Amino acid sequence: MLSVLQNPRQAAAQLLNFGLILSTAFMMWKGLSVIADSPSPIVVVLSGSMEPAFQRGDLLFLWNRNWFEETKVGEIVVYNVKGKDIPIVHRVVRKFGVGDEAQLLTKGDNNVADDTELYARGQDYLVRKDIIGSVVAYIPFVGYVTILLSEHPWLKTVMLGIMGLVVVLQRE
Amino acid sequence: MHSSVVRIQNVFGFFTTVAFVVAALIAASDLIAPRTPSANVALKDVQVVRGRPHYYSSKKEEYAVIKFSLSADLSSLFTWNTKQIFVYVSASWPNSTSTELTNEAVIWDTIITNPSADHLQNIGPVAMKKLIRSAKGKSIDPSRGKIELKNQKAKYQITAPTGKVAETDNVVLRVHYNVQPWVGILTWTPQIEFGSWKKIKGGVSKAFKLPPLKVKKEEKKE
Repeated sequence: MLSVLQNPRQAAAQLLNFGLILSTAFMMWKGLSVIADSPSPIVVVLSGSMEPAFQRGDLLFLWNRNWFEETKVGEIVVYNVKGKDIPIVHRVVRKFGVGDEAQLLTKGDNNVADDTELYARGQDYLVRKDIIGSVVAYIPFVGYVTILLSEHPWLKTVMLGIMGLVVVLQRE
Repeated sequence: MHSSVVRIQNVFGFFTTVAFVVAALIAASDLIAPRTPSANVALKDVQVVRGRPHYYSSKKEEYAVIKFSLSADLSSLFTWNTKQIFVYVSASWPNSTSTELTNEAVIWDTIITNPSADHLQNIGPVAMKKLIRSAKGKSIDPSRGKIELKNQKAKYQITAPTGKVAETDNVVLRVHYNVQPWVGILTWTPQIEFGSWKKIKGGVSKAFKLPPLKVKKEEKKE
């Protein structure tokens, strides 16, 4: 703390540095988002409905462009149900028709029944624009930290506290 | 304070760099491993009935129940980076207006884990014991990629949004797979040959026509 009071110029530099780190991370995220054409190009698996392929905490990379072919049966897609804000990662098991109007039905590998029950009332099928990306790559376990943070909110406070302390106390 | 924080940061930074490089190398090793799968699928029996295809179906509709035989050799897909293989058989058929196969529905699927991922399967304790014992001491077991099914009943019925499927023509069954790695790129049945990855040999059935609606005897009496 003392160093901050003694040298405001240095404190300002540290603050800028911290801001730079944050904005770099944000730019990389948004850049990836533009490349993949997906509002959320990286997602963390939150449920066990695709086990044993994906466990909770696994990191998935999404791709939302149809350069060579349409989204088809067998692909694992991430979609948002109308009116709900939780992205769901499931496999396309039926497709009727082609193009933007094609009707898609999904199912979790680990679920007995398809997703009809999960969809909004009156929604029997998904269409292409409900999908925010198809899974193309996979890294296990790395995203578990975000699950810990959302399930134990006090961890956020602790982490922010530690980060703040480090920033303040660091000399360079 | 200053130097210990910096040291921890450096150690952690180095650790993540090494971990990512190793993971990238493992993922890249998939490209070298040759893939030469083959499959034979044939229709055995098909019926079209009217009813509720699922317990949660809200309305009665026509659906097709299929029996098929499948013999496949997917053993070349199992490498040290294979976590599981998702094998699925789908039925495809064209719309009434085109010859393109515009509709597709999965009728049967199975998950084959590499022994390294057996413990993740969602099965009962007895089946789990049996599964683990079947590949004791092995971390890769290509023999699991051999599938022999005779007169297998489909897991999922064929339906259509219109509620009508009877007498649909030019239906074909196709075998597909999806390789799930431990780390890296997910891959599906390739449409084109890519390096040492060959297209699936066979894997398409002869085209057939769904039969007319089978009328139940009970309904006739009503």
